[in-house]
Amino acid sequence: MKPAAPLLVLLPALVLLPVLLALPAQVHGGGWELIGTFLKAAIQPSLDPLVLRSLLEGLGVTVGMALLGWACSVVIGIGLGIASSRLVWRSLSGSVLPAEVLRRLLALPRSIHELIWGLLLLQLVGLQPAVAVLAIAIPYGALVARVVSDLLDALPDQNLNALLLSGTAAPAALLTALGPPLLPGLISYGGYRLECALRSATLLGVFGLGGLGNELLLTLQSLEFRELWSGLWLLLAVMLGLEALIRRLRQRWGMPSRFGLGAGSSGQRGRELVVALLALLPVLLLVAQALQVDPMALLQWQPLPAMDGQHWGTALALPWLPLVWNTLLLTLLAAALAVGGAPLLLLWVAPWSWGRRLLQLLWALGRLWPPPLTALLLLFVLKPGVLTAALALGFHNLGILGRLLLEGAEVTGSAVEEALRCGGVGARIALLYGRYSGLARSYLAYGAYRSDVILRETVVVGLVAGTGLGSQLNESLSSFAWDQIALLLLVYAVLTIVGEDLSDRARRRLL
Amino acid sequence: MAHADLLLTQPLLELRSIEVAGRQQPRLADVDLTVQPGERIALLGPSGAGKSTLIAVANGLLEPDRGSVLWCGEARARSKRGRRRQQQRIGTLWQDLRLIEELTVQQNLNCGCLAQWGWPRAVLNLLLPLDREACTAVLEQMDLPSSLLNQPIGALSGGQRQRVAIARLLRQNPLLWLADEPLASLDPRLAEELLELLLRETGAPRALLLSLHRPDRIQGFSRVLGLRDGRLQFDCRPQHLSGAMVEALYAGRAQP
Repeated sequence: MKPAAPLLVLLPALVLLPVLLALPAQVHGGGWELIGTFLKAAIQPSLDPLVLRSLLEGLGVTVGMALLGWACSVVIGIGLGIASSRLVWRSLSGSVLPAEVLRRLLALPRSIHELIWGLLLLQLVGLQPAVAVLAIAIPYGALVARVVSDLLDALPDQNLNALLLSGTAAPAALLTALGPPLLPGLISYGGYRLECALRSATLLGVFGLGGLGNELLLTLQSLEFRELWSGLWLLLAVMLGLEALIRRLRQRWGMPSRFGLGAGSSGQRGRELVVALLALLPVLLLVAQALQVDPMALLQWQPLPAMDGQHWGTALALPWLPLVWNTLLLTLLAAALAVGGAPLLLLWVAPWSWGRRLLQLLWALGRLWPPPLTALLLLFVLKPGVLTAALALGFHNLGILGRLLLEGAEVTGSAVEEALRCGGVGARIALLYGRYSGLARSYLAYGAYRSDVILRETVVVGLVAGTGLGSQLNESLSSFAWDQIALLLLVYAVLTIVGEDLSDRARRRLL
Repeated sequence: MAHADLLLTQPLLELRSIEVAGRQQPRLADVDLTVQPGERIALLGPSGAGKSTLIAVANGLLEPDRGSVLWCGEARARSKRGRRRQQQRIGTLWQDLRLIEELTVQQNLNCGCLAQWGWPRAVLNLLLPLDREACTAVLEQMDLPSSLLNQPIGALSGGQRQRVAIARLLRQNPLLWLADEPLASLDPRLAEELLELLLRETGAPRALLLSLHRPDRIQGFSRVLGLRDGRLQFDCRPQHLSGAMVEALYAGRAQP
């Protein structure tokens, strides 16, 4: 008895059964009026000019940090990506060893969430605009490096070797042979990273690194829901605008979509692309000036409390097993909720023409709304714990996977679904049979990748909802227990590297 | 039979002064057509004549801008339930077959019954393919071995796929069979076989409306229609179709 493709997509949604059974025990009774007020405030956001001005300023800072962090990560990523490419090292020196070593090393910055980088840097150099930029640039740079080296290694090496044999200098040969075929995939991925950077910058703000996130947190904590919604709607407009712009540019320049796995896109309008990239430079400089980002200030480290080695005993005595177990449970719950929830919701609204629009709005809110704020909101009515954290993290990732599911449904095409509808089959079953069959594999493969991201993100809700390694990290950070922090980061890194490997295997099996 | 409630004498499909607008000229203009049970109708015309549009109007995929469509004497039902009941009596053989590649032959055959099944059976079919006997029966009717039932569609040959698609229609058991250029892109032997099967399965109370690009395969049909620029040019018995009529239909277009 092997479930067919369309059912596989829904299988993770089975997690809803235990979740719904466990939920009533988590409700603590109070706070429902607050949730009601919060929801009502959505349709009557504050229009006070003073509030709007401060929100817009915050939004500007967030967008600026995202843009700068993203630009740095792309530059770092391309450099490190080339440096960790097996193809490049084989062609240049005959040995792939340096590439392998660098790849392993890069797994470390990648495995640590930008929020942890941000909090660490905050301790090291104090609060300044460059912290958020660097916090985004480090893990993103390592992620881009991995994608670049994977893209490079998938290219045939004859062209490069031919150029090198004919005596072309190495940099010129690399650029000529590998640049053009690399570009479409890189631009497409880069656009996607910019969307992520906007979400990360908002999140960093929630933890005090500046920008709109901070305003959102303050309005939520002071229960100023109408002002909170003004900020949310503004952020939503910017995010949807950015997503639409990136989609349009991707289509215009003929770049592959995320779902077009292996689809032969070649890229068009090269000149326009170069002009756009050049135009980005002065924009970045202006943004850096406006935010008063000073790279030199990053070099002035604050004195750290001494690590005298006396406290290693306390650090080792932390309840490691429950901490790790809760982190893993949180990952699995959130991933299953998000991966299974999106197709289930889409099926549910299939018969209504407005259903899909409503769902898209809900998903967009899920994407931009930082998970710790969802967790705070849930804490109005739920007790802190793994389930609350999983709901918050699941909702955020539901937004991301839901959008991807719709992209996948578009790529799959409407023919089979239409044929079923034509024979009198209902909307839901036609969607299940006609579309989910075709997109099951690629959607689940993306879900596997996302689970690995979710594992990294557990720290974000852990800090708020009081569960797993994240909450312990928060405590250790606030008490400057560097030995504990070091151990926690190490455990986190090991978990995410193992998780990454598992999700890679799952993906390879699916595709 | 599932269709005992319908009188055999009632037309299965009536199109009355159908018009479908297009960019420059109408895709269909002033089309009247009645299909009686037992009729097998060939729809001829050059490419772009409006054949696919006519089929799409007949199976309800496309709503005409003007004119009315009656299925078994009823106009398009208002309620979703009524609409679905109507749609079940219409079966379409698509040019690209529209089988679900990721599912097995048996699951695909059962797609013909999804309109009648509720949620639970539809989902169960994805877990444990249902109704083995009924599926075997329709496969055998198509001269295919029951050993194919568990095969994924991807493992079938082109000819087998065609037959599975027809077997799915048998499983749906519609009264009105529509086919949009099913013979295009088939080699002559396969095309001949497919046409034979379709004609064999569509005796009364069923009826067949099949569009054809080429005018040389109209043996076995009871009526021939000619469509050009969205308008019906002739409607006659095959034996009355003259070379001049065919020539006029395709005049100035790429030779069929």
